[in-house]
Amino acid sequence: MQARHGQSSYRDRTDEFFGVVESRRRSIAPAAENNVPYGGGGRREDPRSAAANQSEFSKRASLIGLAIHQTSQKLSKLAQLAKRSSVFDDPTREIQELTVVIKQEISGLNGALLDLQAVRNSHNDESNISRDTTTHSATVVDDLKNRLMDTTKEFKDVLTLRTENMKIQEDRMKKFSKISSKESANPFVRQRPLASKPSPSQPAPLPWANGSSSSSSSSQIVPSRQGEAESSPLLQQSQQQQQQMVPLQDTYMQSRAEALHNVESTIHELGNIFTQLATMVSQQGEIAIRIDQNMEDTLANVEGAQSQLARYLNSISSNRWLMIKIFFVLIAFLMVFLFFVAWSKFRDWVDKMEHVLAYKAATQERSIC
Amino acid sequence: MKITALLVLKAAPETTDPVILANASDVSHFGYFQRSSVKEFVVFVGRTVASRTPPSQRQSVQHEEYKVHAYNRNGLCAVGFMDDHYPVRSAFSLLNQVIDEYHKSFGETWRSAKEDSAQPWPYLADALTKFQDPAEADKLLKIQRELDETKIILHKTIDSVLARGEKLDSLVEKSSDLSMASQMFYKQAKKTNSCCTIL
Repeated sequence: MQARHGQSSYRDRTDEFFGVVESRRRSIAPAAENNVPYGGGGRREDPRSAAANQSEFSKRASLIGLAIHQTSQKLSKLAQLAKRSSVFDDPTREIQELTVVIKQEISGLNGALLDLQAVRNSHNDESNISRDTTTHSATVVDDLKNRLMDTTKEFKDVLTLRTENMKIQEDRMKKFSKISSKESANPFVRQRPLASKPSPSQPAPLPWANGSSSSSSSSQIVPSRQGEAESSPLLQQSQQQQQQMVPLQDTYMQSRAEALHNVESTIHELGNIFTQLATMVSQQGEIAIRIDQNMEDTLANVEGAQSQLARYLNSISSNRWLMIKIFFVLIAFLMVFLFFVAWSKFRDWVDKMEHVLAYKAATQERSIC
Repeated sequence: MKITALLVLKAAPETTDPVILANASDVSHFGYFQRSSVKEFVVFVGRTVASRTPPSQRQSVQHEEYKVHAYNRNGLCAVGFMDDHYPVRSAFSLLNQVIDEYHKSFGETWRSAKEDSAQPWPYLADALTKFQDPAEADKLLKIQRELDETKIILHKTIDSVLARGEKLDSLVEKSSDLSMASQMFYKQAKKTNSCCTIL
């Protein structure tokens, strides 16, 4: 990993460092840099008293580097555990412990790194060291800080992964077991009562892959049936079995009771519906009666009207006899009228004739005389 | 909604395996070569679940895609393998029926059984086919279903009654208009008749 890679690159420079040290020793100058095999350089630095400051710094730096490496190893183990996350063999306790330990180490490393930085600063202030030393120590501190940051980030990722897995587990358990999953929320209880717990985490053998399923289920079942082995988990399991049996019995009865209630309420609703139906039909019956009355009225009216018209027709058709009578009367009037007119005209003619005759008699007398 | 197998077992005391008294399974939807292994699997899981079921208790276990329901009554245990859709209640009422039938037909002879009985029990096979539909097994379910159908029919009836009401309303309007019109007609006729008889 990182530390290892770092170590290999640093280790490469050990020989270089030795050569430099030798040359410096020969020139009786304070020891030069350790391009730091953190694992081994700290030890080499010790005998050199002239480089006490530097050695202290490098010692601390080496310790910190080692600690970081160990922490990252533990972190990788934790990541593996968290990834495993099978429903059985839930290593919750171990994961918790490991998490706590890693957290402590990281915080310790943080503090140590800060101390190292303070030491470096104080060394820089106290003695005049070459520029290279300053830059080197700065680089070392920065590198350690980066490594610690990476470790912390990995730690955070592992924790997130762990919480996600737990959530998935809870969902799965809720989905598969109808029994109360309250116990599942308690991560410290080993709760795998096999009879009532689903086994979806069997590494997916086909249901008819008899060998693997029988072996896995027998391997799961047999440990729990071994009374010699762990009696307390067995008791716990049987207790939980019991606890989950009674709710199942209750569930069954409850479901029956619920179904009965449903049936009863349905029947009730049906009764309601029938009542409404009856009301509506009776109302419509009244309407039908009204319609019937209307139709009867209409019928009576129409019949009366028809009789009237029939009479009218009769009267119209029988009027001809009357008309003849009237006609005769008219003719009588005409006759009378004509008669009067003729009488007057006849009288006038008679008068005229008399006049004419008188005139003729007068003329005849004249002629004789 | 499928029953894959029904088993009747004699639930022995905790240390020994239960003894199979009757077995009926429907493996037609598995491939030919898997059928025997499915039967074995059924036998094995049935034994396991039956041995885990305390007396006078009911239990449901989810095993991959099957739900295994077990009902133990005084040492006689009935186990059914159903899929997830089969309602739990019907399953248990079915198991109840199976146990009652078994009691009726075999009385107490099963108590002495020590080995798996190989004779098929025709009732079980019939039950397997008959009760594929959960309504058959569970009277409550049947009643509920019929009631729902009745409710639907009643709703339709009410709708048609409402339509009838509307039609009746329109009929009433039209009939009242008709009676008005006929009245006017009568009056007119009377009027023309009663007026003077000129000509």
